[in-house]
Amino acid sequence: MTSLGGSSSSATEYTVRVPKNTSKKYNIMAFNSGDRVNCSTWTQARMERDMSARRIYGEEESAEGAAGSEFGKKQREEARRKKYGIVTREFKVEDQPWILKVNGKAGKRFKGLKKGGVTENASYYIFTQCPDGAFEAFPVHGWYNFTPQAKHRTLTAEEAEEEWGRRNKVVNHFSIMLQRRFREQERGGDDDDDENEKSGKKKKKGGGRGADLRIHDLEEDLEMSSDDSDSSMGDDAEGKTKAKKATGKGKAKKKRKSSDKEALEDSDDGDYEGLEVDYMSDESSNSDEELEKGKPSKGEHHPKGIDEASESEEESEEEKQNEEEAKEEEEEEEGKKTPVQTEKKKKKDSSGESESSDDSDIEGETASALFLKKRTPPKRGGRGSAGSSRTGSRPGTPSIDSASTSNTLRAAASKLEQGKRPTPGPSTDSPAAKRLKMEPSSQSPVPSGKSTPQPPSGKSTPSSSDVQLTEEAVRRYLIRKPMTTKDLLKKFQTKRTGLSSEQTVNVLAQILKRLNPERKNVNDKMHFYLTE
Amino acid sequence: MSDKTEVNLTGVKQSKGLWLVKVPKYLSLQWDKATEKGDVGKITIGKKQGKTEVHFSLNEELTAVGAAGEQDASLQVPREHPFTMHTVGGQTMAVFSQSNADEISLEGMVVHRAECRPAVNDNYMKLKKLQIKASTKPQRLSQQLERAVTTVFKPVANHDFNVEHEKKKKSEGKMVRAEWQVVLDMLFSAFEKHQYYNIKDLVDITKQPVTYLKEIMREIGTYNSKGPHKSTWELKPEYRHYQAAEEEEMQKA
Repeated sequence: MTSLGGSSSSATEYTVRVPKNTSKKYNIMAFNSGDRVNCSTWTQARMERDMSARRIYGEEESAEGAAGSEFGKKQREEARRKKYGIVTREFKVEDQPWILKVNGKAGKRFKGLKKGGVTENASYYIFTQCPDGAFEAFPVHGWYNFTPQAKHRTLTAEEAEEEWGRRNKVVNHFSIMLQRRFREQERGGDDDDDENEKSGKKKKKGGGRGADLRIHDLEEDLEMSSDDSDSSMGDDAEGKTKAKKATGKGKAKKKRKSSDKEALEDSDDGDYEGLEVDYMSDESSNSDEELEKGKPSKGEHHPKGIDEASESEEESEEEKQNEEEAKEEEEEEEGKKTPVQTEKKKKKDSSGESESSDDSDIEGETASALFLKKRTPPKRGGRGSAGSSRTGSRPGTPSIDSASTSNTLRAAASKLEQGKRPTPGPSTDSPAAKRLKMEPSSQSPVPSGKSTPQPPSGKSTPSSSDVQLTEEAVRRYLIRKPMTTKDLLKKFQTKRTGLSSEQTVNVLAQILKRLNPERKNVNDKMHFYLTE
Repeated sequence: MSDKTEVNLTGVKQSKGLWLVKVPKYLSLQWDKATEKGDVGKITIGKKQGKTEVHFSLNEELTAVGAAGEQDASLQVPREHPFTMHTVGGQTMAVFSQSNADEISLEGMVVHRAECRPAVNDNYMKLKKLQIKASTKPQRLSQQLERAVTTVFKPVANHDFNVEHEKKKKSEGKMVRAEWQVVLDMLFSAFEKHQYYNIKDLVDITKQPVTYLKEIMREIGTYNSKGPHKSTWELKPEYRHYQAAEEEEMQKA
C-alpha cells in the first residue's frame, strides 16, 4: 500500500487485485430491510437447494427394463416430441432456489430466489480489504433474494376467496384458521380412510337420521384425532369420546363442526353445523329408548355441561352460536329437518341463557354419543330450573315415561293429568267436566299407571272425583229440594259415576227404597223429598 | 434433495465490511486480461471538502482493447473511474460463497454500494460509439445470391439411399423360418428385457417372417389393442414372472 504524502487532501491509495485462481463462486444474499435480518445473530445456518421443481421437469420414467417397459420407448417419445416441436426446459440445478434455515428447527426459514439478468449488462464485484490494505475484487456469480417463509398457517387461494365472501358475516376471525388446522389434521391423520369416511358421512347425512349419524360423526372425529382407522359404532365411540374429553371439549365441538362441514354439500357455512349433531339426538332418541332409560342422569349433565363449558371458555362461541342460530333458521326454512331444528332452537336459547352451573360436570364423563341421544329428554327436565319460559312450564320430574312424548297430544294429556293429580277432591262441575273430557282424549294414560279419575265401581272406593252414587248423596239432594227421578239421574251422570245407565237406575232404585222419601206431585210429576 | 450444507458463519462474525461495486462490462473484460497476480489498478480514497471520494485508476497495461500487448491508440479504455458510493438502504445484503466442493460460507455483509463510472472524455465516447454500432448489428443477415443453387435436387435414376437399401436386402436374403423352439427362446429372452414389444421390433430381433412370428406370438402372448401400451405384444401371464411388477402388484393389492 502506498500512501501519498500530504499536499491536497488526505488520500490513501490501495491496489486493487482481481484474483484469478479462486475456486469459490461468490453470490449475493439479499434480504428486505423490513425483515430486520441481522446475520451476526445467527448461531447456526443451513442452506440447500430447493429441488421440488425437479419432479415437474423431470419425466416420470416408467419401469425401465423388464416389467412395464416397452421396447424403444424412449426413442419413440423423443421422436414424438421432436415432431410436435415440444421443447422442454432443462432442470438446471444452478437456477433452483435456496432454502436457508437459521438457528435450527425453531429458527427462521428463508427462501432465496435467483434474480435473473444480473450478469448480463454489467458485472458486480465484491471488494474486500485484505490485511495488507489492498483491495481484492471478486466477481459476483449470482444474486439471490431471500424472503422469510411464514411458519403460521395460511389460507389457500380458494379458501381465501371463501372467507372473503363471508367477511361481513364472520365476527370471529380466529376460528377461521383454527378450523383449517383441524381440517388439516383430519386429512393428515387419515389418508386412507379419508375418502371412505367422507363418503360415509355424506351417505349418512343425506340418508338416515338415526343414532348412526351421530355416533359415526363423532367416531370419525375421534378417529382422525387418534389416528384410528377402525370404525365401530357405539362402544368405540364411547371410549373414544372419553379420551377426547380429556383433551378438550371445545376441540371436540369444533372437530365435529369441521367434519360436518366437509360432509355437508349444500350449505356454505358448515362451521356451525357441528352443533346439529347434538340435536339429531332428538329423532334418534325414539329408537334408543333403552339406552336413555339406562343413563338419564349422566345424560342430563352432559349436554348442559359441554355446551356451557365451551361457552364459558370461549365467549366467541356464543357469537357463533347466535350466528348458527340464524343460519339454522335459514336452514329450517329450507325445510331440512324441522322437528329437530325447532328443538335445537329451543335448546340453543336455553343454553344461551343459562351459562354458569354445570361446568365441571363435563369432563371425564361417559359417551357423548349417549349424552347426545339423551339430550332432549333429560334436558327438558334438567333445564326446568334454567329459567327459560319454555322449559319452565314443564314438570320438574325427568319424565322417563315421556320418552314417547313426540306425540304432542299425549304429552299434553299426560301433563294435564299429572297436574291434576296433586289436587283431588273439589267437586265443582267445571274441573270435573274437564277431567271427564280429558279422559277419552288421552290415549295412553292407563299403561303408565295413571288411573282414571273415578273407579269402575260407583260405591265402594273413594276416588278423586266428586260425584258418587251413594245413599248419602241422594239424601243430600232430596233434603235440599224435591226432585224427580229424572233429576236425580241427571245428578248422577253415567260419565261421572262410571256406571252404565241401567246400573245407575238400579242402584238409584235401591237407594230410594231404603230412603223411602216422601212424594209430592208438582206439575204433574212425582217429586221425592226428605225432611230432616 | 441434496444434503444440507452447514453454512460457515466465520466471515459474518468477523464483521468484515464488503463493498458491492457495479463495474461496466468493458472494464470487467479488461480485468479478465490481467496477469496472474491480478493487479488491475489502484483505488484512491480521499476526503475532499468533507466528502469521501473514491477513485479508481486502471493500470496502464490493461487499457488496450483487443489482443493483449497491442496498443491501439484509437481503442483505449478510459483509465480514470470515479466511484459513486451509495449506502445500503432498502436491502440487507450479505455475501455467501460456494466452493467447488459445495461448501457454503458466509463471507460478510455489504456496507457500501458503489458504481464504477468512467471519467467521460472523447476517448470514452468513441469507445461507446463502437459498442453501439456493434450491438445494433442484426444477428441474422439476409444475403442475396447472384446465381441460383443448382447442386441439389438433380433427377436421379436411383437415389443413393435406395441403392444401399436394396444391396443390404439382397445380401441378407429373405428371412428364413427357424425352428419353433429356437424362436421361442429368442422371444423369451427378448421379453425378459422388456414387457411390451411392437411386432416390427420383434421381427427385427428375431429375423423371422411376420406371419410365422405372429403364429408363435398368438400362442404365447397377447396383443394389447387398447391402453397405455397400445398395439404391442406381451407374454401371457402364465409365461411371465416379472419381479418388479409382482412386487408392485402386491403393494397395490
